[in-house]
Amino acid sequence: MSSAILVVGGGFAGLTAAIEAAELGHDVYIVEKAPFLGGRVAQLNKYFPKLCPPSCGLEIQFQRIRNNPRIKFFTLAEVTGLKGGKGNYTAEITLQPRHTAPHAVDLGFFASGLTGETTSDFEFGLATRKALYKSTPFAFPSRYVLDTKTLSPEDRAKVVTNKFLDLNETEKKIELQVGAIVVATGWQPYDAERLSNLGAGNVKNCITNMQFERIASPYGPTKGRITRLSDGVAPKRVAFVQCAGSRDQNHLNYCSYVCCMASIKQCQYVIEALPDAHCDVFYIDLRTPGRYVKVLDKARASGNVSFIKGKVANVQQIEGDRVRIQAEDAVRGEKLTLDYDMVVLATGMRPSLATQATPLPLPLDEEGFIAGGEEAGIFAAGCALMPLDVTRTAQTGTAAALKAVQVVEGR
Amino acid sequence: MAKVTLTPDSGFARELMDAGGDSLKKCYQCATCAVACPMAPDNSPYPRKEMVWASWGQKDKLMGDPDIWLCHNCGNCAELCPRGAKPADVMSAARNVVYKNLVGPAKVGEWMSSPKGLPMLFLIPAVLWLVVWAIMANCFAGGEWFPRVDGRIVFGSIFYGDYTIDPLFMITFFGALFLIAKGCVKLWKQFRQTKGKTLVLGPTKPWYIHLVQMLWDEVVTHKKFDDCQTGPRTGQPENSRKFGHICMIIGFASLAVVTAIVAGGHWIGKVIPFLSIHTPMPLYFPVKLLANFGAIVLIVGLVSLTLRRKRQNPKFFSSNYHDWYLLGIIWAVALTGLLSQLFRLADAVHCAFLVYYLHLVFVWMLFAYLPWSKLGHLAYRATALLYVRMYGRG
Repeated sequence: MSSAILVVGGGFAGLTAAIEAAELGHDVYIVEKAPFLGGRVAQLNKYFPKLCPPSCGLEIQFQRIRNNPRIKFFTLAEVTGLKGGKGNYTAEITLQPRHTAPHAVDLGFFASGLTGETTSDFEFGLATRKALYKSTPFAFPSRYVLDTKTLSPEDRAKVVTNKFLDLNETEKKIELQVGAIVVATGWQPYDAERLSNLGAGNVKNCITNMQFERIASPYGPTKGRITRLSDGVAPKRVAFVQCAGSRDQNHLNYCSYVCCMASIKQCQYVIEALPDAHCDVFYIDLRTPGRYVKVLDKARASGNVSFIKGKVANVQQIEGDRVRIQAEDAVRGEKLTLDYDMVVLATGMRPSLATQATPLPLPLDEEGFIAGGEEAGIFAAGCALMPLDVTRTAQTGTAAALKAVQVVEGR
Repeated sequence: MAKVTLTPDSGFARELMDAGGDSLKKCYQCATCAVACPMAPDNSPYPRKEMVWASWGQKDKLMGDPDIWLCHNCGNCAELCPRGAKPADVMSAARNVVYKNLVGPAKVGEWMSSPKGLPMLFLIPAVLWLVVWAIMANCFAGGEWFPRVDGRIVFGSIFYGDYTIDPLFMITFFGALFLIAKGCVKLWKQFRQTKGKTLVLGPTKPWYIHLVQMLWDEVVTHKKFDDCQTGPRTGQPENSRKFGHICMIIGFASLAVVTAIVAGGHWIGKVIPFLSIHTPMPLYFPVKLLANFGAIVLIVGLVSLTLRRKRQNPKFFSSNYHDWYLLGIIWAVALTGLLSQLFRLADAVHCAFLVYYLHLVFVWMLFAYLPWSKLGHLAYRATALLYVRMYGRG
């Protein structure tokens, strides 16, 4: 019997669940697959409701983790086995080697001298990174991670001489005794390459909304300057393509809830940074839950954002690395063919579990969202459950923590 | 503000769903389809507006909408439709409802729209040709139902041109033609009523120029079927009907020429014996060669179009009864036509006459029910295409 709680996933939902449970006096383990905590929120430029930068909101969570001895977290870690039952689970955790010393050494200067580079997943392919890296300056844990596959031969020679780096570290397996589990495995952006009529990811300056967050982020590939990656020029006309692969039986057959607000937020990024720019948002229906409608009103009132009812169904490259899109303005009944400097596809959220296997005994619905499992003492939180914004993600995190606490409390 | 009152006709929506548009209620008006369609003009494109009319039961709007005829049913819209609302099928269903109700007798339209009517449709020509067969066998062939002439099988000995085949088919053919013409006039009036008066600016072309250009684009070159392929990338395999459709037209045109020559030869031959043509024609006779060429091209077209329908992904397309009726009847005409020739050459007298009898039944069905069948599109679509061209659209 164990009164500890395992939290799978160190994004906003998992962090919230872990902190809430720990602050109620329970031992909590966070298992995160990536080298850093923070999940998708860490990749955003700003997030709702208050349009904070993630360095702010996440920083508070990281602080609570640092100050709470009941929380232990593992990065580069995955649950690879699970035995036992409700109240008495034994989870096998596989830890990938980090190859760096267990304290926060600033290896920035050393890293910049390395030559091997690879495409950065954190930047959604918009930039490259070195073999030794941190995803953002505020990344937590504030420890570099060494990706040995990316090392060039001369890098390797340098690395062996550095006493803070250890190429010989190997994969480890540990076992954790826990009474309940919170699953907060989050989501993946829908793959734009599947959208054949929207350019299939091959049209220059036609990017996804998550890529646009990186472009707007001060820690991203353009240092927060909103420019086209192809030529570094600020766009004058930007189009937002809503429901790109969402509410679509051929792709994601549901609404991802956040993309409308995300695009309106991104319009604000554009018009704040580039007062001469104009944004067109092409939508089927605009979803602005609750008070968020005020954000829409503000965008409308700015005069720099137009909303056109009609889904974009054709995206093509034209000269000057510009993008031509076609949509029918369904209110006026007119087919529009318009050219933009930059087009942002508002792609939706696909639950990570839709594509990634897990040893956890979880019933999934046809889309890959978690649908049940509570009788086994396993509780879902965040976007593994349904598409959610950050506020509601935090709420589901708290809810899952309370449910998990009830399981272990009775013992 | 002008007040517009819509009166949804749920019965009409139901009728459309029964005619092959059963997916129409799934539409949520995202307007993908209007972009997916490379043929839809920029101004008031289709099929999104048709989808909303259909689900709101706006019968008058759809019945007087020339755009449902501009659609060549390539299915790009269905492949990109996020909801599986199959706009292509709904457009096709709307056309089916137009055929059904355009001309009387309404009963035939009803029979033509579901398999339940098929026995009646078959029975009418079956009885007709059986009566002819009985009369001819008893009055002229000496009670012999499967006669031979000089030891040969001659279909004309029972189904004699002068007073059986020619007059009956003339009445059928010209009757159908009259009804089709009536339908086209009615359709034209419906278009004008719904679209209202159109002010045409700039130079206009006379209608016959439009007609020639339309026939060139649609029939001679089949250019529009290529245009169908130029839409946004759907990521689905191409499944064009162009080849099959061309084969059908060449096949039917060849057989029409043959029929005209044979009938002409028969009647003119009575005045100028030099020009007379006697059936059966020898196999090497040019007209016979053309006839068999036409039949084979027709079969090739049939195979191509049938395979195409079989290959269609049911997620995006469904074939409705009208589609299968037309393919089926042409299959029946072509196969019975070829088989009666083969049985005649093989000297299987019973089979030959029976199959030839069936051939006459099916050919009669093809022509007599033309105004209510999908084949009627050759006149109705042409009318709509001419209409839109004259008003600067399409």
